[in-house]
Amino acid sequence: MRTNYRVNSGVRFRMLSKDQLRELYWGVLHVLEYTGLEVHHDEARDVLKKAGAWVDGLRVRIPSYLVRRSLKMAPRSFTIFARDGNPRHDIHIGPGRAHFGPGPTCPNFADIETLERRPYVKADVPQVAKIVDALPNIDFCESLGTVSDVHHDLGALYEFAGMFPNTSKPIVAWSYDRHDSAGIHEIAVAEAGGQEAFERRPNYVHYCEPLSPLVSTYEALEKLLFAAKHRIPLIFTPCPIAGGTAPVTAAGIITMAAAESWMGLTVAQAIQPGLPYIMGGVLSVMDMSAMILAYGAPELSLMMAGITELAHYAGLPLWQTGGCTDSKTFDAQAMIEGSMSVFFSALSGGDLTHDVGYTESGMTGSVFQLAAMDEAIGYSRRITRGIEVNEDTLAVDAIHNVGPNGHYLREPHTRRHFKSEFWLPNLHDRRNFEEWDMMGRTTMKGRTVAWVREILATHQPSAIKSETEKVIQKVLEAGEDRVKDQ
Amino acid sequence: MSEILEQISTAVIEGEVEEMVDLTEDALGDDISAEDILNKGLMAGMDYVGVEFKAGNVFVPEVLRSARAMQESMSVLKPLLEESGVQMLGKVLLGTVKGDLHDIGKNLVGMMCEGAGFEVKDLGKDIAPEAFADAVKEFEPDVLGMSALLTTTMRVMETTINVLEEAGVRDKVKVMIGGAPVTQAFSDQIGADGYASNAASAAELAKQMVGRA
Repeated sequence: MRTNYRVNSGVRFRMLSKDQLRELYWGVLHVLEYTGLEVHHDEARDVLKKAGAWVDGLRVRIPSYLVRRSLKMAPRSFTIFARDGNPRHDIHIGPGRAHFGPGPTCPNFADIETLERRPYVKADVPQVAKIVDALPNIDFCESLGTVSDVHHDLGALYEFAGMFPNTSKPIVAWSYDRHDSAGIHEIAVAEAGGQEAFERRPNYVHYCEPLSPLVSTYEALEKLLFAAKHRIPLIFTPCPIAGGTAPVTAAGIITMAAAESWMGLTVAQAIQPGLPYIMGGVLSVMDMSAMILAYGAPELSLMMAGITELAHYAGLPLWQTGGCTDSKTFDAQAMIEGSMSVFFSALSGGDLTHDVGYTESGMTGSVFQLAAMDEAIGYSRRITRGIEVNEDTLAVDAIHNVGPNGHYLREPHTRRHFKSEFWLPNLHDRRNFEEWDMMGRTTMKGRTVAWVREILATHQPSAIKSETEKVIQKVLEAGEDRVKDQ
Repeated sequence: MSEILEQISTAVIEGEVEEMVDLTEDALGDDISAEDILNKGLMAGMDYVGVEFKAGNVFVPEVLRSARAMQESMSVLKPLLEESGVQMLGKVLLGTVKGDLHDIGKNLVGMMCEGAGFEVKDLGKDIAPEAFADAVKEFEPDVLGMSALLTTTMRVMETTINVLEEAGVRDKVKVMIGGAPVTQAFSDQIGADGYASNAASAAELAKQMVGRA
């Protein structure tokens, strides 16, 4: 037995000191107290006013004690459950755990047959969900697109209705408004077995997006209120662009984004104390030539690491970003940008890393980028898992047994450990030249495309309850009915 | 080229906002016409900035600073140009459509159009179709630019074009549209006159629309 012995159980990356984090933390509280935000929602302003905020027209300023109290009310650890009870698909959010998944709302999609960019359609949704369900390192589901071939107000409903039966991994649900949110919730609650059962074992997360700089839109708050009232775990994530809609400095954009997200936190905790709340957002730079939000910039990883550390300092999980690229196709740039941001997300321990599979700066969703990043995530996870040091892994006995001039291939020690010590590549090729040549000289791109198509041909996600299928039909019909005259 | 015009174009390139009014008045004091100051001083500087921007040597904040410098000079020149009947490049009216509060792209378009030499009026965001129609009547722009970021709000562009028609002003103005989900196909479908995929190409498109590209 070891005494007075400290263990690092994984690779740890820390960018900011306690002093720096304290300065950021109080900077955020200062912005909320002295500058405040525009809150475009009567009920949300009332909630904030009753809780102790100062309301002046649309502008709301929140005293620091109130924000700090709200931070204390939100849990740091909680679980999002697989709809089918498969414990391997549960997501346990807590310190030192990084999870990964795709992002929402790309207008375009890289076609699975032609690989060409085209508008995202309803038929793409089940395909994305199936692939997510099968990928070993992808933990939650988003659709990688906005459905373009249904009534324009029903895109989010069809999206959820297409994902839910095709993966039992928890879904992060995006929606236009509270009608969508209500329909989505009805489906999830049917599967969970009622509202109470859902509250005990929530099976999805609700996603809302305020606007930078410092505006909470009506729609974002309408959805936040719905989620808070129904105790749906909530993500409130702004998407500020450094130099455009946010300060150009990393510390500045982190401070402003945190203020935007903590406004949502304060509303949510006032309505539903203890609501699982995941802080946003997506932070990157405006490319000052191309005028786009750069999804492949090193500053994205840097800023995301900074806001992750701030969130954890304040006691909240964070909605991280990674696995995305500005490249328009499956090429070396896409792999460098995606892999680097995946690795930094894994290192910083951001709780839910989304936008895996974004290409063209978020304009085109790609399951090929997603599948290739699954490999990068596996690779990163092996590194962040670190090295175990104990009497057995030290292998002093094995070294003694083999001695000089021997080999370790037949050692029980080798057999016992190689599967957990070594990462097993899935898409990466390590064969010698002759074998690679004989097997058709495949490329990473070719192997990724083949794997995606194989998953679609063979993978069977677990089924939803037949009652839930009926509820999905009912919800879609009610939606069609609602919009039929528009 | 006279020394003072060269100084003016250099000041535009360098974005010397504070010096522009003095330099412009000096040039006028030297009996250089407002039209020459505009074309051989200001626009010469902006053309250089435009070329360097495309080449990736000059960046958006620098372009906007140059455009701002040009605007300073224009505050002196504009009444003189109008007096002497010089044909200006034209007027651009901008706004983000009803229901949409995302306006960073539209703001960039406005600044790029100013830099190209347009007179720009920006209505802001969440602008109702009727407000666009009223502003077209009042401001009489050559080009109307509309933006939207959301797939839900981009459809309001079509409504706005219909309202322009009902108000009898559709044929008085060229309509250009933009925003992340907007495409050329969408532009054709709703009967806009053009689509631009970013702020710099929007300014180019506006120039084409007034026949000055």
